[in-house]
Amino acid sequence: MRKRRRSETGPKIGLVLIGLYFLVPLVSTGAFSFWEGGNRYGLRAYVALVHEQQLWQSLGLSLRLAIETILVGLVILVPAVFWMNLRVQRLRALFDFVSVLPFVVPPIALVAGLTALYRGPSWFVGTANYLVVPYVILALPYTYRALEVGMRALDLRTLTEAAQSVGAGWLSIMFRVIVPNLSTALIGAALLTIAIVMGEFTFANILLFNTFAVYINYVGQTAATEAAALTLLSFLITWLAMLGVLLTGRGQVQIGGAR
Amino acid sequence: MGYLEVEGVAKSFGPAKVLSDVSLALEEGEFVSLLGPSGCGKTTLLRIVAGFEEPDRGTVRLAGTEITAEPPAKRQMGMVFQAYSLFPNMTAEENIRFGLKVRRVDANEQAERAQELLELVGLMQHRGKYPHQLSGGQQQRVALARALAIRPLALLLDEPLSALDAKVRVQLREEIRRIQQETKVTTIFVTHDQEEALSISDRVVVMHQGQLSQVGTPAAIYGEPDNIFVARFVGAVAELPAEVVDGTEGIVELFGRKVRAARAQGMAAGTRIYFLLRPETVRVGPEGANGGLDGTIAGRTFFGALTSLRIELADGHGSVTTAMPSDQAGELTPGARVSVSWADDAPRILRRE
Repeated sequence: MRKRRRSETGPKIGLVLIGLYFLVPLVSTGAFSFWEGGNRYGLRAYVALVHEQQLWQSLGLSLRLAIETILVGLVILVPAVFWMNLRVQRLRALFDFVSVLPFVVPPIALVAGLTALYRGPSWFVGTANYLVVPYVILALPYTYRALEVGMRALDLRTLTEAAQSVGAGWLSIMFRVIVPNLSTALIGAALLTIAIVMGEFTFANILLFNTFAVYINYVGQTAATEAAALTLLSFLITWLAMLGVLLTGRGQVQIGGAR
Repeated sequence: MGYLEVEGVAKSFGPAKVLSDVSLALEEGEFVSLLGPSGCGKTTLLRIVAGFEEPDRGTVRLAGTEITAEPPAKRQMGMVFQAYSLFPNMTAEENIRFGLKVRRVDANEQAERAQELLELVGLMQHRGKYPHQLSGGQQQRVALARALAIRPLALLLDEPLSALDAKVRVQLREEIRRIQQETKVTTIFVTHDQEEALSISDRVVVMHQGQLSQVGTPAAIYGEPDNIFVARFVGAVAELPAEVVDGTEGIVELFGRKVRAARAQGMAAGTRIYFLLRPETVRVGPEGANGGLDGTIAGRTFFGALTSLRIELADGHGSVTTAMPSDQAGELTPGARVSVSWADDAPRILRRE
């Protein structure tokens, strides 16, 4: 009995230590964000931030880029992963390999390559929209994996053939049968993309676009307490995205099988 | 000319020849089963009819029109699959209406047709349920209703019962037959289960190694097999090697003794044959009974109403299986010595190569 109690205590202590490892810096950052000099603590940093137009601009830009990245990524990947699973499963290894390339190639090398490679109209290359290209690449591993898991859980071939046999064309199959049954995977992919884009710094900084992460860095160099407040805010966005992934995963539609 | 015709169809997957020169014609309203072991090409043939596979050679015609190159969506054929194939995001009723919706049928008509079909398959009270809330049998009935909703020119059933438990299988196969007879839709039913094929079909096509081994009514397939594969595959059979002695009188030599076999009449003397005995034609009597083959009961299997006995013939002449009402099998226990006999016209005779 005593032995069992000891074995339960060990992991608990481990968990508490790990929790502290993550929480202490956050609590300290939080405490620092309320510091107003000397012994005074208050919301001054937050009030200043709320009134800072640049914050809202950079936040808006990052959110817009996140949405564009989600749309472009899904428009490319949903049909590609669908086709691979349905017709060319022998290419799965190639898809898997390509999907992890962004982990292997450092962002700094990617951005150097991109600037050399892309020559295009100024409305594209000259604006922040250009960032969508590297962001789609950065989000690729997560988007691909989420879609791949979602599609493997469906019996794609049978569903597709069942739809075809009653007269459905490819568009109907895609939008009425496949996509609605991938909602969990799609939401997961979208939220992970938001988390990545909101925190991405290298590309935006080098290509001179003032995204949310670049703004946090700028504030960090000029106003320390405001930077701490902003860091917490960006954590909050990421956490909300992750919470969304967890919640949608939990409420997953039951697919196939019988009662 | 048939209503649904397959002519000279061949198909290979890489080096594997799956179908070779298959021709088959179905009359309008006919229920035909494709029966055969795994890998015999029955599902491939069905998928070629449905348009999911392209034949290497040959044509498919439906109602007088060649459809070999038509995509599946244009063929107006309903299909029910082996795997559960209902769209998980739609209720039973929405699944049934799907084919009408993509055809842009008027919403009122969609609702009427769905109601009609829900009543036909007896699932009216489950119309609002999602697939995961339905049992396997209910899901397959919805799938059947979905296939019928588009008023198909032909109904294709690809082992729709194989994922269900025994009792539901029997219920549903009877229901499929009833619905087919009510709707008079031309139907191809793929199965590897001979009982299923024999019990609900107008005709059965037995397939073997990519070819049609025999096409006929269930009674003909069971009672008059054309070849040894069909005899072995459909029902149990004892194959005893024999030789025709007198074709005029129908006398054959079986294990050194001369016995009468009505069906050997007309065969040339000296023809090597299989002397085939179905279990229900085998009579069991006391050892040494006049004209019988002696043997020992080697196995006994209880099936409820019937009991099956496996009798090892004396002198290593092989074994014979018989089935009898369980209440008559009382003393026939393993080890008992018996004699087996049969009526003169009971054995089927097939040439032995």
